[in-house]
Amino acid sequence: MYKYILSNRRKTVFIIIMFVIFITAFGFALGYFLDYRFGLGGGFSIILMIFALIFSLILSFSSYYYSDKIVISLTGARLLSRDEDPRVFYMVEGLSIAAGIPTPKIFIIEESGMNAFATGRNPQNGVIVLTRGLINNLNDEELKGVIAHEISHIKNYDILLGTIMAVLVGMILIITNIIFRSFLFGGSRRSSNKNSGGILNLIFLMIGILLIILSPFIAMIIRLAISRQREYLADSSGALITRYPAGLANALKKISLYSEVKTASNANEHMFIANPFGKTNRSLFGSLFETHPPVEERIRRLEEMALGIGLKKESQIIEEIKK
Amino acid sequence: MLAAIILPIVILVGLLVIFLLIGIGIYNSIITLRNRIDNAWSQIDVQLRKRYDLIPNLVETVKGYAAHEKETLERVIKARNLGIEAKSVSEQSKAENMITSTLKSLFAVAEQYPNLKADQHFTRLMEQLNGIESNIAYARQFYNDSVLQYNTKIQTFPGNIFAGWFKFTPRDYFEIEEALAKEIREPVKVKF
Repeated sequence: MYKYILSNRRKTVFIIIMFVIFITAFGFALGYFLDYRFGLGGGFSIILMIFALIFSLILSFSSYYYSDKIVISLTGARLLSRDEDPRVFYMVEGLSIAAGIPTPKIFIIEESGMNAFATGRNPQNGVIVLTRGLINNLNDEELKGVIAHEISHIKNYDILLGTIMAVLVGMILIITNIIFRSFLFGGSRRSSNKNSGGILNLIFLMIGILLIILSPFIAMIIRLAISRQREYLADSSGALITRYPAGLANALKKISLYSEVKTASNANEHMFIANPFGKTNRSLFGSLFETHPPVEERIRRLEEMALGIGLKKESQIIEEIKK
Repeated sequence: MLAAIILPIVILVGLLVIFLLIGIGIYNSIITLRNRIDNAWSQIDVQLRKRYDLIPNLVETVKGYAAHEKETLERVIKARNLGIEAKSVSEQSKAENMITSTLKSLFAVAEQYPNLKADQHFTRLMEQLNGIESNIAYARQFYNDSVLQYNTKIQTFPGNIFAGWFKFTPRDYFEIEEALAKEIREPVKVKF
């Protein structure tokens, strides 16, 4: 377990270094092209590179302290108080006692889709985020299963890696988007005025194409780092906390029926317990870079652990959801 | 010629250093596990205190409606005082079993008084008690898991060698009586 936590920390450092290199290289490339455009002989490339280096370092360090807050605010979650929902509060408190970690803060997303994730930089600053749909549709044993799964993520430091990845990758995706759009925008302007901006458009075109080629690799890095193995591990150590694998198995069956979260994005998708884009509209690209193992396989493994005790049938699950 | 003398010494010293480092690692891991037990115990303690604080409140509330059920009420208070005074883990677990069973008889008494069951204060106390009881169960689970890890470590090779040297002794589990086990896992339910 401690080796596993160590590997999570190493991967976090690796991701941060990759991010700094990426942004710095990007700054250099942009400066290089501007030099070429205005003929300044290396002025821009050095300035922009240093600027990008400082910029990315500041971003990385602040992402260590603030990434959980960024992710929480991006998903539109708000803090849940004890008086508002004592049921959920006692569950989280009890299960974190059983896992031997401080009680995490509880946030709620007011959406009807059933989903959950955990964030924070260490167990002392752990946060569990649940959707309204999850709290309303799951019974006690199922909800305990999901909360225990998230608590395991906190205990294993999956949250640190996952959250920093979400913020840094999100940043890269935003930059890629801006480049791509300015290329499109530049393209439309060129048609109206053929004399100016030809080279600049070419530059943006090249950077754009480069980044478009790169982005699958960025996605691949996410996939490699966020190995599917950790979901299985969180499932099984969550089941160890509740001593009731059927709870999470039944919960996953319910959740997989309707797990959409509108505020989720490509950058933080990997943090959720189930795919926040739902089952149906998945592109070929999406399934190639899936961050979660198939839910059927997770349920199968949990059912094996449960030895047939307390498991619900598909029809029973659908019946309960309808209510 | 000189190398023939130095080489064995270097190898010997090297081996000694390696063994020392491994030894330090094992020793530290045992201490870490032992500290985790102490931490787990303090978690149980926090929850038990909460229950001790709650019981006089509960008894007072019940007294207001069922004053002549003196015997039951006194037994609850007695069990609580035993729990507060307990020194060792086994004493504590015995006292907690007593508290749980006396509380159960208290709830059985409460069943006979519809006015009491309708009391808002009583309902809130019951809610809190249920929450604390399930927390105690979870805290006990973490404590027993920690004891299991520690005991296994100092009883298996190579931990047992260190246990002999540094006098590490196995810790007690926080046990509950079999008959009670099932009911505690599912906290006391009060039907209204």
